Parts: sequence; structure tokens; C-alpha cells
Amino acid sequence: MSSAKFSTFLTQIAESLRGENGPELAYLLKPTSEHGKGLVKEFRNPTKQSLSYYEGTMDSPWDEIAIQYVLVVNHCAKKRAIEAFREHCTLVSLFLRYFSVNSGWTLPALFSILRDLRDLAFDVKGTASMEEAARIISKAFSACVTDRQSSYAESRKWGVYYVVGLILKCYFRVRRISLSKNILRAIDANPDIPPLSAYPRSHQVTYRYYIGMLSFLNEDFAKSEQELTLAFYNCYTSARSNQQRILTYLIPLRILRGHLPSSDLLKRFPVLEDLYTPFIAAIRTGNIKAYDNALVKFERRLVDLNLWLTLERARELCIRGLFRKVWVASQRGTRIPISLFHAALHIAGMEVSQEEAECLVANMIYKGFMRGYVSHEKQMVVVANTNAFPRLADRQTPYVSL
Amino acid sequence: MSSAASSSKQPENKASTASKEEETQPHLGVLEEDDEFEEFEVADWDDSQTDLAHLAGAAPGAAKSGGDKLWEDNWDDDDIEDDFSVQLRSELAKKGNDETMQQ
Repeated sequence: MSSAKFSTFLTQIAESLRGENGPELAYLLKPTSEHGKGLVKEFRNPTKQSLSYYEGTMDSPWDEIAIQYVLVVNHCAKKRAIEAFREHCTLVSLFLRYFSVNSGWTLPALFSILRDLRDLAFDVKGTASMEEAARIISKAFSACVTDRQSSYAESRKWGVYYVVGLILKCYFRVRRISLSKNILRAIDANPDIPPLSAYPRSHQVTYRYYIGMLSFLNEDFAKSEQELTLAFYNCYTSARSNQQRILTYLIPLRILRGHLPSSDLLKRFPVLEDLYTPFIAAIRTGNIKAYDNALVKFERRLVDLNLWLTLERARELCIRGLFRKVWVASQRGTRIPISLFHAALHIAGMEVSQEEAECLVANMIYKGFMRGYVSHEKQMVVVANTNAFPRLADRQTPYVSL
Repeated sequence: MSSAASSSKQPENKASTASKEEETQPHLGVLEEDDEFEEFEVADWDDSQTDLAHLAGAAPGAAKSGGDKLWEDNWDDDDIEDDFSVQLRSELAKKGNDETMQQ
């Protein structure tokens, strides 16, 4: 019954524990590692019972963790996703028993097995396993936060933001975004967590990305823009798809603030250049028809990305652009007949009555896009002498009217 | 099982709808709602490996006039020579004349 390969495996685990070698331990527990394949060959249809021979060969919980590992790799090899996930859940719970009484040197192994947990949950149909994964990862979060023994440098608290990032990733995957609230509340409730800026950038950027996305979906656009901005600027430039993912949401938020992406920026992300250039060009020229065409053309994609409403709202920047053109074309006069705005709307492809045109002008003034007032009696717009069309970037609260 | 294997599944799910969509929807490459924020290959990196360099010392959140070359905040266009503007101007001129004549 004794297996040479398994004995070697146990020895290697013992060595990584003695040397406090986190990355090595992570490698040893990874189902895709080379030694895993060897163990699959060594044991035919292993069960907890058939492997119970090895209980006690190492200090608890490591004998059990090693046995769980054999079960996981075996199920993976036979493509039994549900069983692999279930056995790996047990492995993680056993690991947490060790983790919660040791210092942060174990974090690389924790991160690795939690990543695998999420990947294995992904392979199981339905959302239940992903929610279960999130629950188990939340226990890891508690084990990180409650470290009161380790030194600052060796604290398990250095795992907090990575682990939270994984939990949020699970919830986003199964669209149970509201469940994120609990874990975020738990962060706020623990003021002795080191500042986010002290964590590795990969943790910071992932965390900020998800907070930015949550804020976006909750329509807290100011916070979303702030978090996504920091996520973008701290992101590793080689991680292009992550940068693109951040910018997909950051660009429309920035547009609403009056900050248009430069061509240098767009050129680096052709997919975003294709998507956003028509909108940006239309805003610059006040071409409402072109803007509406772009909305129709990209509707399906924008709806899928939860971006349609945002770009629909940015349409008023396009109307502002048009009205500004009217003003420029009228030699920046202070008295412009409403009929001119009406005519401009018609040329720009927006068929409205003169009354509606008047209403649109009044609305632009009310929202602070232009300064002046409407004389309904004289059907005249009286435009302010100075700063008639304040720069969009100067608006104090660009998201309020949303 | 590995993350690579997991992500390789996604295109399969989409393949059936993708062909139908292609005619009406512009091809947007990898921009998909189900795409995930990916695991970074490294844990940490320097400023020089980020876009902070484009800020020229400004705080993130600024635009060109604040030192950030990736965003423009001063783009109001006074040049009215583009096709759309020319059309707009001639219509406005016509309209303006009509108005004057009416008065």
C-alpha cells in the first residue's frame, strides 16, 4: 500500500513547512503541478478510506491535506468537476486550520489554493458552487484579518485585499453583486488593516477595479471614476486586457466630466477606439445625428456592458456642443433667436418643435451647460457676456444631473 | 481545471451567438461583458511600468491642462470648417437672413 511518490510528496511538504517556503508550498498544492500527475498514476481510484493508511504520517492537518490533494488531482484527471471542487473545498478548510495559527509566510500558498478553488467552482455548472467558493474564501478573509500575533511584516493581514478581490470576482461571475456588501463592511469594521497603498500593486489595482465597478453599478459615478482612475494609473502596462477593462468604464465616466481620451490613449486600445471614437467625434462637433447613429449601432454591446444608459446620458454633451456651435456661428452674440437653435437641431438630425427646442435650451441653462436665460415672450435666448459655455471640465458636479 | 483551461471555455459558449451578431454588430475583439479582470502575472511593479509616467507629476484625475497627456479637457472646437459646421453655418446664415427680413 505504501507509495514512493506519495512519501516523496509528504517529505517535500514537510521541507517547505520547515523552511517556511510559501511559493514552494503553493506549488506542491497545485492540482496542475507535475507531481500531481505522478500521484494520479500511483493510486487507482483512491478514496479517503483507501488513503487512511497515511493518516498520522505528518502533523495534523498536513496528513489530511496531502490525502485531499490526491483526491483532487484524481478527480481532475477524470474530469469530475463536482467531486474535484468538493474535495478541494475540504483541502482549503484544512489548510485554513494551519493558516490561522501561523504567520503570513503561508500567504502565497493560501492565494494559490483559493485561486484553484475559484477555478474549480467555475468548472461546475450552476452558481451554487461559486457562491460556496465565495463563502469559503470569506473564511480565509477572517483568518487574515484576525492576526494579532504576527509582526507587521509577517502579518496575515497582507492577504486581506487579495482575498477580497477573489471574493468580489466570484460574486461578479455569478451576478450576485449585492452579496459584496458584507465583505466590504467587514473591511471598514477593521481599522487596523494596513492602508491599501501599502499592499502590492496587483492587490490594489484588482481591489480598486471591483470597487469602481460596484460604484458604477450603484450609480455612484464620482466614486467609480475616482477608483477606476487609480486602478488605471497603477495598473501594470503589460496587463493590457486589464487596462482595457478598466478603460471601458473609465472613458465614458471621464467623458461626462469633460475629459476626452486623447488619440494617443485610444490608439493603444483599438477595440475602445472603435467603440468610442464615433461618440467623441459627435460630442466635439455637436453632431446629434452621428451620436444617435452610434447609439443605435452599438446598442446591443453597450447594453451588455451596462454602458448604454451612461452614453445615452452623455448625449446632452452633444447638444451642448451643437448649441455652442450656434453661438460661435452667430459671432458669439448675446442675443440668439430660439429659431436658430431650432434650425440647428434640425440640421443635426433632431426633429423637434420650436417649443421643444426652447425647452432644450432652458434645460441646458438649468444644468449649467450654458449661461443666460430664455425670453419666452421674445423667443430669444439671452446669452451671458462672459463664459457663455463653461468648459465641461470646470463643472463642479458633473454627475449630479444624472 | 487550470485558469487557462477555464477561460478557454468561454469562446465555446459564445460561438453560436457570435455568428448571428457579426452582421449587425461591429466586431469588438475581446470586449465582452463576461470577460474577467485577469490575475496579474506579477505581484508588484514600479511606477515606470505604469501609466503614471503620462501624468508628468500631476495627480491622477487631471487632464491635459493639468499635465496628463492621456486626456483632453480643453477641446471646445472653434474651427467651423468641418462639413457639418459648414452646413450648419450656411443654414444659420439663411435662417438669419429670413429672420432679418421678417423684422
